Amino acid sequence: MSEIFSSELTMSKNGFLFDHGSGLTYTLNTTGQLIFNLLESGKKSTQILEKLMTEFDVTEDTARKDLDDFYRQLKELGLIDQ
Amino acid sequence: MRLNVAVTGLHAADNPAPGIGVIRCLHHPEKWDGKIIGLAYDALDTGIYDEGLLDHAYLIPYPNSGSQALLDRLLYIHEQRHIDVIIPTLDSELPVFQKLEPALRASGIATFIPPKPVTDLISKANLAELCKDEDIPFPETRIIRDPAELMDAVNEIGFPLMIKGIYYEAYTCNSASDVLQHFDQLRLKWGLPVILQKKIESEEFDICCVCDRDSELLGAVPIRKTRLTDKGKAWAAVTLKNKRLLELSARILKQVHWTGPCEVEILKDVKTGRYNLIEINPRFPAWIYLCTGADQNLPKMVVELALGKKPAALEPAKSGICFVRHAIDLVCPLEYIENLTTLGELHYSPDNKH
Repeated sequence: MSEIFSSELTMSKNGFLFDHGSGLTYTLNTTGQLIFNLLESGKKSTQILEKLMTEFDVTEDTARKDLDDFYRQLKELGLIDQ
Repeated sequence: MRLNVAVTGLHAADNPAPGIGVIRCLHHPEKWDGKIIGLAYDALDTGIYDEGLLDHAYLIPYPNSGSQALLDRLLYIHEQRHIDVIIPTLDSELPVFQKLEPALRASGIATFIPPKPVTDLISKANLAELCKDEDIPFPETRIIRDPAELMDAVNEIGFPLMIKGIYYEAYTCNSASDVLQHFDQLRLKWGLPVILQKKIESEEFDICCVCDRDSELLGAVPIRKTRLTDKGKAWAAVTLKNKRLLELSARILKQVHWTGPCEVEILKDVKTGRYNLIEINPRFPAWIYLCTGADQNLPKMVVELALGKKPAALEPAKSGICFVRHAIDLVCPLEYIENLTTLGELHYSPDNKH
């Protein structure tokens, strides 16, 4: 379990995310799945941005917007503390 | 050693009793080696007709018939079948089994249930006071024993609030008129006291627990209900890995000196993150079969504890295991119902004691 998350989370290969602490489930799109996997493997924001740009062929601004949006949703759902 | 276990609470309708789930646990992962004896209150208790679950079914008198009537019937069944352990599964029958526990033990029938002083402590009327004394987090609560106290208590708690009957039923109230309507309804139906409780925006968790005679938590399966019936009963749920729920359950059960199985209900306040105890149900929950998927067979552990064994505490329950309840129609010959109605017993297994 990555230290960034406030609870133990498991994602299936289809992007179905299970929070072991609360029992809640979420469905992630491909961008969310990639970001989640990178966060879980301990990658920093700059590394995630680079990966998003190369994987989806998007500008840094678009990648940053997607990443910020993902962080915001994780925070709203109580899945990360910071 | 082949053991004969008798289980009550066989009616699995829209508000299912836990007995069938308990029996399915005993048959997991392989058919129970001894006999399973179903103790039913009515010839149409549904679980009797789920062939393969029971070896024998017997009607027993309702708890309000008194403890002697139940004892006489249980001793008759014991003479016929030899009962090693009884697992009662209904709240309403617990007082009479507590009263009969010494007589059953003297006859060689073991049980593993919480003692009466402990279940009195955690009754709806006493739980708030107990939590206050023991520093257990609990929503703000007032116990209304006199209608003259009602509106002062409402003003102290504020809206929204929950109003609860002493035994069953709970309603959300958003105004004084809601309170007055439900107060009269609950008072007339269940008597006083009536309970007022601050309603908190929350997530509900339930933990099925088993404690030994030293009130040590030996097994615990926490769940989140993912689908409810219109009566608020679980129709689907998932098991959790949640250290805070387990630590709070262990602490509470130790503080109240619990023995036996129970279902602890906890609400997490979504604003503050605080976990509040809501209720302790002094028996297995109806969803108990889920525990087998989580690698914690708690009914089998209760059989061992009833027989005086000292099983080790189980590894934490496996999380991410789900159940979905499913209603099916059972088909049987009229003879089955005839046997129970006229003779009060039905036998699926050969007529031997062991």
